[in-house]
Amino acid sequence: MTNTLLFIVLPYLAVFACVIGSIYRTRKEPMSYSSLSSQFLENHGLMWGSLPWHLGILLILLAHILAFVCPGFWQTLTSNQVLLLSIEAAGFGLSILCLVGLVILAIRRLTSPRIQAVTTPMDLFVIALLLAQVALGAAMAVHCKWGSAWCSGTTTPYLWSLLLFQPDLSTIEDLPLIAKSHIVCAWLFILIIPFSRLIHLFAVPLEYLFRPPQNVVWNNSRKLKEECSAFVAEDTRRHFLKAALGIGFGAFLLSVGTLNKVFNFFFGPRLSKKEETELMEVKLAHLESTVDQRKLELERQASNYIMVAALSELNQSSGKYFIDYQMQPAIAFKGKDGLPLLISAKCTHLGCTVGNKVDEQGRILCPCHVSYFNIETGQPNAEAPAKAPLGHLSWVIMDERGSILASRNLEGKTACSVNQQALANGKVYIAKSQEDKT
Amino acid sequence: MSLNSVINSTFQFVKDRFPVEKLNYHSMVEKKEVPVHKMSWGYYTGGLTMFFFMIQVVTGLFLLFYYQPTVSEANVSVEYINKYVAGGSLIRNMHAWSSSCMIFCAVLHLLTAFAMKSFVKPREITWIAGVLLLFITFTFGFTGYLLPWNQIAVNATKVGLQSIEYIGEYLPGQLADVPRIIRETFQGEASVGQSTLGRFYALHVVILPLTLVSLLGLHLLSVQIHGMSQGVDKPAKKSEKFMSIFIFKDLSLWAFIFLCLFTVSMCIPFESFLPYPLLAPYNPLGSTPAGIKPEWYFFFVYYPLEMLPFWVILLASMILVGVLILTPWIFKGASRKTLGFLTILASLYLVVMTIFGEQIYELFKH
Repeated sequence: MTNTLLFIVLPYLAVFACVIGSIYRTRKEPMSYSSLSSQFLENHGLMWGSLPWHLGILLILLAHILAFVCPGFWQTLTSNQVLLLSIEAAGFGLSILCLVGLVILAIRRLTSPRIQAVTTPMDLFVIALLLAQVALGAAMAVHCKWGSAWCSGTTTPYLWSLLLFQPDLSTIEDLPLIAKSHIVCAWLFILIIPFSRLIHLFAVPLEYLFRPPQNVVWNNSRKLKEECSAFVAEDTRRHFLKAALGIGFGAFLLSVGTLNKVFNFFFGPRLSKKEETELMEVKLAHLESTVDQRKLELERQASNYIMVAALSELNQSSGKYFIDYQMQPAIAFKGKDGLPLLISAKCTHLGCTVGNKVDEQGRILCPCHVSYFNIETGQPNAEAPAKAPLGHLSWVIMDERGSILASRNLEGKTACSVNQQALANGKVYIAKSQEDKT
Repeated sequence: MSLNSVINSTFQFVKDRFPVEKLNYHSMVEKKEVPVHKMSWGYYTGGLTMFFFMIQVVTGLFLLFYYQPTVSEANVSVEYINKYVAGGSLIRNMHAWSSSCMIFCAVLHLLTAFAMKSFVKPREITWIAGVLLLFITFTFGFTGYLLPWNQIAVNATKVGLQSIEYIGEYLPGQLADVPRIIRETFQGEASVGQSTLGRFYALHVVILPLTLVSLLGLHLLSVQIHGMSQGVDKPAKKSEKFMSIFIFKDLSLWAFIFLCLFTVSMCIPFESFLPYPLLAPYNPLGSTPAGIKPEWYFFFVYYPLEMLPFWVILLASMILVGVLILTPWIFKGASRKTLGFLTILASLYLVVMTIFGEQIYELFKH
């Protein structure tokens, strides 16, 4: 019975009264449609009370509304542990901020004789209720932890059921007393909106955020002058302090961040065992390829013949790269006659390494500036930037015992002492020329 | 002309360019005024170039801690900086982005200085030092390109060095061999290898910076002695103090540019415009991958080189270098209108060749 009264009757009554009452009040007494500013009666305490209070309560209310309007989105947010902790911490911090603001506002209202003169019982009631409500909220954050998460299973469905006119109390019946009181208080607020200064909720003064600061002063020429100059001085000082604080803090953060990064850069990485192994492998592979390169060079210094490949490994369509006596790349193909065809792979244009794939017209391509070279003649195509032909290399074929089976000299003359069958097992070599020897 | 008068005029030349009575803080800094007119933005380009150079020095020193200039280690060490070192990829990216920005600003500075006719007496030395600085900056780009020792780096360097040898074809008799000797001096061995890497490294991290800094000193000294050139035909009505109005504006611009550079370096790896095969470690035994090309700032000479006969480019670049160095005397009497027109032509050519060079080349080839 009590539950029905508090959680079904009260809400509908409150919303109804709020809507009708607010419309009535804005029509009948439009001038009272505000928070009845007391700024020019007392300014100092207001700044320290009103600012933290509004800052805190606005953010908290936004979070409440978000949790109610987009339950799915809110649930994804709060299911992330880091976010949940942040939301809870921020909520609690903000509620403390609100409390501080409220207390200052209450003290101000109770101590300043000027404010006393305009204070109505309703104002005191509002402050008391706000204090109670915020205290309840803060207490919930401590005693019924993770409210931002469990609300999506309790209060959100309850509110939606009210909105859809199918009141369902099953989700909130078993809530602890603190939570229930928090809800009841909330409905009370909605109820008293039209009867109190809370009506200013509907006059959202967003333009205040963008307008230049204003100061309310007494309409008295001497006081006006004094206050104005004081205001200007104060404002200048405030601007300077704000800027200095901002720049100082920014510079501090920046230098901490930069120093941290710079230090870590010079400190050097500490690799995991796995990363270390990987790195070592890569380094070793690079070193080995350098070693291979040096071995090739040395081999070319020392030996009179360099093996290119076994004749059987060569084919007509895709050549095998090797390094000639001048340490320049060359490619070995098998010619149409079944004998090796060795051609320089250093493009005669600008020295790129020519590709080893033969196209349908028996040509290989230098990718740098698109020259096609015929592998039989070495000649480039007519439009190619390369003008000179690629040179052919001389070769010999030897068997395992090192006796020469066939050879071709630089003029392209071939000498062959055995038949094709015997050649098949031979290996192709390039021979050191007289020039290379000296 | 007698020897005496030659000596006298030489002394007079130096005296006019470096007036001793102005060599003090008061006239070089306190008294200096910067004219305010519609071309005033040109006064910021030089400072910006210097700012990018400062970034290059700092990030370069950072990279020096980890980079190893050997054929087997170079690529791995770059990889290591990118992958493991805290903030390493940021530093490397900044070095790369800022190098491009530096060259862009240097060229812009040259063009604006030319259009504003900032090279006439007594600023000839400033201009020539500036032109030399620009050449050094380009050499920085060329030598730095090789250091990561990846496919595009080594192959592009090969092509670049080979082009030097081509000059030999146009030289008579014994001289024909000189370009080859020059190339092999820089290359250090028969093909681009360890010796080349060592030489380029030495050039990039020691010789070029030292040269640049000393020339920059000369350049800045003469700028401060003679003050900003007026830049427009009608002397500007307004001017602002160099100290501290202009310098603060300059610093704020630097701060803003640094923010941009930092953001870009955080988000966009400089190499992200190239396909991976070009960035793979250099393989001396494989074929050259397709798409080898120099950095964008060489496009203005690279694509014409691809399309036109070599001698045309050779002649054109020799004329260009000659004209650039002799500008203070060639264009002594030219009006700012003519200079502005020439500048617009040159800028158009640079922009079109840099952005559309590849398309023009494709069009030309097919």
